[in-house]
Order: sequence, then C-alpha cells, then structure tokens
Amino acid sequence: MTLQSDLSQVRQPVALAQGLPNAHYTDPQVHEEERQALLFGGWAGLAVSAQVPEPGDAVPLEFLGVPLLLLRDREGTVRVFQNICRHRGMILVQEPRKIEGAIRCPYHSWCYSTEGRLVSTPHVGGPGQNTHDTINRDALGLIEVRSHVWFNTVFINLDGKAAPFEEVHADLLQRWAEFNQPMVHGGSDSQFTLDVATNWKLAVENYCESYHLPWVHPGLNSYSRLEDHYNIEKPGQYSGQGSLLYRQITGDDGAIFPDFPNLSNQWDTGAEYVAVYPNVLLGAQRDHCFVIILEPVSQSQTREHIHLYYATHNTDDALRQKNAALWKTVFIEDIFVVEGMQKGRLAPDFDGGKFSPAMDGPTHCFHDWAATRVCALRAQAQQQTQQPAQAAE
Amino acid sequence: MSSALDARLIAAHEAGDKAALVTLYQQAAETTTDQRAHWFYLTHAYVFALDCGAPQAAQLHALLKAAGREA
Repeated sequence: MTLQSDLSQVRQPVALAQGLPNAHYTDPQVHEEERQALLFGGWAGLAVSAQVPEPGDAVPLEFLGVPLLLLRDREGTVRVFQNICRHRGMILVQEPRKIEGAIRCPYHSWCYSTEGRLVSTPHVGGPGQNTHDTINRDALGLIEVRSHVWFNTVFINLDGKAAPFEEVHADLLQRWAEFNQPMVHGGSDSQFTLDVATNWKLAVENYCESYHLPWVHPGLNSYSRLEDHYNIEKPGQYSGQGSLLYRQITGDDGAIFPDFPNLSNQWDTGAEYVAVYPNVLLGAQRDHCFVIILEPVSQSQTREHIHLYYATHNTDDALRQKNAALWKTVFIEDIFVVEGMQKGRLAPDFDGGKFSPAMDGPTHCFHDWAATRVCALRAQAQQQTQQPAQAAE
Repeated sequence: MSSALDARLIAAHEAGDKAALVTLYQQAAETTTDQRAHWFYLTHAYVFALDCGAPQAAQLHALLKAAGREA
C-alpha cells in the first residue's frame, strides 16, 4: 500500500507552500482519492448544453469510466442519467441519437421516458403480461445524476453530496452576472478536442496563471502583455487571471464580432479567464466566450474539449474560423508544458515545487483547494475505520 | 401468423423500421386466435410505438391496461 502523500506543506500560505507532491500525478491510489474528493464530490464539468440542442437529443458519455447519458427531455430540460437499465444494468444508449419517443433498453425492452420514468416493462409478469407485483415502476426510474447548467456548461455532482451549485459558486455567478445571458455556440468550426498526455490538474494549473504567457505564448505579447494581467483567487472555489487590455480580433476586411449586449465598461478592454474547480476552464470577453472541459481520461491522460460562443447566430464565417484557429494555436502551445510537467513528476526528488508569491497565487489557490478536499476525505476514511474498532471494544 | 406477415416482421426488424413494426405486430395480434399470442403481439406493438413516439401508443396502452396487462 502506498504511503499517503504529505499535504501539510501544500496548505501553507503561498510564500511558504510547496506544490502538490508527485504522487498526485503518478500514484494510482492518490488518483482514486482525487476521483472521489475532487471530481465526484464537487461540481465537475461534463459537457456543454449545445451537445443536446433539441428535445430528445441524447449523447452517451463516460466520466472517469462511469457511463452517463446526457439528454434534453421533452420539456427542454437538460438532464444527466446513469446510462443503464434498472433491470440488468445494460447500457441504454450506445451512440448519440434522437430519442423519438421512449428510451428502450435494447436487451429486454424496458422503456423509460426522457424524464427518466420507467413506463413499460414488457412481459415482466410472463408473455403478454407487462406488470408484476414486485416491479414498482416508481422506484425503478433511471438513476439521475445531479446536474446544473451555467455558462452553457453541464456540471454534475456524482456523489450527490455537494452543496447546491448556486451556493458553491455564488461568488463567480455574481462576478460574471453580466454574462448570464444567451450565448450562441459557434457550431462545428468553433469546437475542437485536444488529447494531451498529462494529468488534468496540470492543465488547470497552467491555465489559471499568467506567468507563463510571455514565454509560452510570445504571440500574445503584442496585445496581451504580462503587466496588463492580474490574478484572480477565490479560495475553495475558483482562480485565474484577468487582462486589462483585451483587444477584439478583426477580420482581413475589418469585420469584428458583435458584443454581448449590456456589458459594463469594465469589459471594453477587460477579459477574464478562470478555472472553475475541478475541471472547467472559462474565458469571458466582450465579443466571445469559451468553455474548456477537461476530461480526465486517466491519471496521465486528459482530453480537452473546447467550445467557442458568440453573442449572435449570424457571425462572420471567416472571422469565426480565424478566431477558432487563433485559440487552437494558443492551446496547442500549452501542450508541451503540461506534458513536460507530467514527465517531470517522475523525478523522485521533485518536492512539488516552489511558488512565486507574486505570480503563482492562482495555481497555489487550486492546490490548496485540492489538498483540503483530499485531507477531508482521508479524515473521513480514518474516522470510519476507527468507529468499528471503537464499537468492538 | 402467416408466413408472409412473419417475413414482413423480420424485414422490418432488420431495417429497424419501428413504425412498420407497430403496424405489423398489431396485425399479428388481430389475426391470431391464441389469447396469449394476442397480448404478446400487442405488447410488442405498444413497445415499438413507445420507442418511436408513434401515435398508436395511447390506444395500445389503453387496450393493454383495460385487459389488466399494463399499468
């Protein structure tokens, strides 16, 4: 059994702290702890609501191996279910499709409504007899996963124990209240996926600090200089960076994207980029926003799902494609550092690293959140193991 | 069930033509003299009507429920 990682140094103030130890990137046992404490126990990003634009749209997804079904029900509500039939645990929906009527299990044809109700159990009482005294349909609906849609992002709480999303993220919802308005997904040319050989946390850590910008993204210097950035730190919730000098992208013909309506002056030249713990990276700007869902494929493999949003449906095609290409270039530039840091975690004497108190606050904020939650899980586990022992005395 | 109807059912299954399956299973139910087979086929018609959102679902449900075979 692996020794538990020592997290006491991680939870020190940034000037004294060390980063998360190597085990948090390389040890399967710690990965399992983080799966429970960080990803299942919080509000994790699963998808964007644009993946199910119409009622009946259904998309099977996996999150850390858990089979899930993202679905927009008949009334238009986005829901997430465990993608299994309550009869024999068969996967219900194998590929993205439109549910025309009911969700029919392909095994014995138990049928569920798009709201998850069990509506038919054919032959369950024998041929042609579709009821049985022991089959209580009210208790056998699809298992729904707690979900919440904000900023076009579908967040899920798999263990069902987190405080309500609006409570956990009240501060960010208030901070970005001006963006609580309709956004239009840019479509197929405004989404892309990057497969990266790194732990998902390293993608968060890199995203939320501006320290690396002039070195890794020299192309940004002309319009997004380091000195125009500020740190965003909300302990226990989110962290990131802001820019005071956002300049709109323009097309070759001078075209620009229309602004989101009714934004305050702050956003004329301001932009903010935050990591919503655990695994969602957001960007807010006057003329477009983006959502990045970090899918933790394994401890050392992450799939980044990037989606770009605009204020209107009729944005300029060429400009939209240019914008997507620009962001793709930026995010690809980050790959060698997050993959390099993952490889670096195999160096046995790396101690988690020394932070710059001036520049690394947002990253430390994330580490502190992760360490606090893992410690809480360990304390809970210890308490549970002690209780039976005490009971036996 | 006639061999012709049986062949059409198999073809509809192979094609995944759920609307046709609703109709064909209804026909199978209507043409059989075996009560167990009747409700068996009607159940299949109902399930495929549910699956594809066919308008016959409500009527089929009512028939099955009246016979004590559906909730």
